[in-house]
Amino acid sequence: MAQVQEGRQAALPAALETERPKGTTSFGSASLGRLKEAARILAPFGVLAVIWWVIKASFDISDNVLVSPWAVITATVELVRVGILTDFIGLSIQRLGGATLIAVFTAVPIGIVLGLNKNVATAFEPFFRFLQNVSGIAWLPLAVVWYGLSNTTILLVIIYTLTLPLGFNTMLGIKTVPPRYAQMCNSLGASRLRVLRDVYIPGALPNIIVGFRLGIGYGWRALIAGEMLAAQGGLGDMIFQARTANLIDQIMAGMIVIGCLYLVMDRLILQPIEDVTVGRWGVLRS
Amino acid sequence: MTRANGRPKIEVQDVSHWFMQQQTGDEVHALDAVDLTLRQGEFVTVVGPSGCGKTTLLNSIAGFIKPTQGTLLCDGKAIKGPGRDRGVVFQDLAILPWRTVRRNIAHGLEIAKTPKAERDERVAYLITLVGLEGFENHHPHQLSGGMKQRVAVARTWAADPDVILMDEPFAAVDAMTRLTLQEELNRLCLQTGKTVMFITHSVDEAVFLGDRVIAMTARPGRIKEDVKVPVPRAERDWSRYNTDPDLKTVTEHVLSLVRSEHGEQERAQHAEAVQ
Ligand SMILES: Nc1ncnc2c1ncn2[C@@H]1O[C@H](COP(=O)(O)OP(=O)(O)O)[C@@H](O)[C@H]1O
Ligand SMILES: [Mg+2]
Repeated sequence: MAQVQEGRQAALPAALETERPKGTTSFGSASLGRLKEAARILAPFGVLAVIWWVIKASFDISDNVLVSPWAVITATVELVRVGILTDFIGLSIQRLGGATLIAVFTAVPIGIVLGLNKNVATAFEPFFRFLQNVSGIAWLPLAVVWYGLSNTTILLVIIYTLTLPLGFNTMLGIKTVPPRYAQMCNSLGASRLRVLRDVYIPGALPNIIVGFRLGIGYGWRALIAGEMLAAQGGLGDMIFQARTANLIDQIMAGMIVIGCLYLVMDRLILQPIEDVTVGRWGVLRS
Repeated sequence: MTRANGRPKIEVQDVSHWFMQQQTGDEVHALDAVDLTLRQGEFVTVVGPSGCGKTTLLNSIAGFIKPTQGTLLCDGKAIKGPGRDRGVVFQDLAILPWRTVRRNIAHGLEIAKTPKAERDERVAYLITLVGLEGFENHHPHQLSGGMKQRVAVARTWAADPDVILMDEPFAAVDAMTRLTLQEELNRLCLQTGKTVMFITHSVDEAVFLGDRVIAMTARPGRIKEDVKVPVPRAERDWSRYNTDPDLKTVTEHVLSLVRSEHGEQERAQHAEAVQ
């Protein structure tokens, strides 16, 4: 919980910082570069595993406190073998995917409307900041009262968590589009819808993508917390259930899977999307 | 064939405008009782000290702002807002950075739903006309100032508006390129018979390009004098401009008008500072 809270605190400055300069990615010596990058990403994890193993081996720590890396690997294999891990990963990803879809179709239009109306945007800004600091997790009790320990409760919390950075960054993106561009489009005979399509949406796209990436990150954390409480399956449920039986190996296996899955999503899907749009657009914009 | 045929295209009648300043709540009197008629096929240039309301006048004709007072007509009908009959070349160009040169120029035709084959043909023609061959697929950030300028002009031209409003379009272009662009613009306007209002702070540019030069007063902007330029536009190029005694006389006259207004403005600012 504390970690999630901390994440929400960091959310606002990160969300405001939309014009992150990005170097252009060279696709030249791609495969060698990829390999080097993979090694650079994996190296610290290897070091950490070694330290973990050394501590476990040399201080005679009870298996009730900390298990060895090997035990975690065995637990992971076992969880996959019985099908729990794969099922629960599927369930968690489905929830995130569904919530993302709903959030995109609500947050982006709301962000656009707010961004286009300076006065409304100004009026709503304190409200936005207020909501930014009431984390999705803080909504859990209310969601449980409304929807019980259910899938809906989990979805509600993720959607809420995703919507804020996505809506906020969309609004910022729209506000950064020079009004001149819209005037230009109007004098070429464009309708309001056309101006939206040709000017505001492409102009705001880099910000929208940044908001999307942030939102998925926060949403993933909220998802785990929601699953822990709602007990409707999923990775969060898995590690929380393991706690009642004191299965430290399963808890740690689950934690590692949660982190790794996010890393994979972020590096293989979100980052490339951001590089293509923000990277290129960013350069184009100057 | 392309000389003004006398039919009024744009009519500005007794237009005054006040801006409300957001922070201070002060009112800025930008335009004062401006009367101006642009005739079909005419090239009218506007000069005046900075801040005298030139852009405000252009924005009113373009339909971006509704002046506090007065009447604006296009083809005898009230101007209600921006429209594709009045193309604008903005001082800051407003080229979309995420579109290529080709797609920026094609933008107006896309909006007008011109069939693709016709659109491609017209864009290709304009790209050749403004000398941007080979840069069709470049993005604006890859172009020099002069090239961006050409994109902005070509985009406005592609949409084929009757009237073209240009706001100091060559201000950011280096001096050599500017000379070429001015000659090209003159040629293009004669070929197409457009009605043009062209704002500049360069007296040479105003006289070189215009059928008439409108000299404005310091703020609040009023029309100080409407000066006819003698030599037909078809006969103008920079070597002629530099040697023709009639053009020289007109230039000197316009220069004296602008100078006196500049002096006015400085005296007014000094008086304000002393108060
Ligand atoms: N949106 C605005 N709000 C307040 N004042 C403005 C605004 N636009 C222009 N002005 C003021 O109106 C006057 C005329 O401006 P403008 O038409 O841009 O002059 P020019 O183009 O001749 O330099 C200037 O003093 C300017 O400061
Ligand atoms: Mg101006």
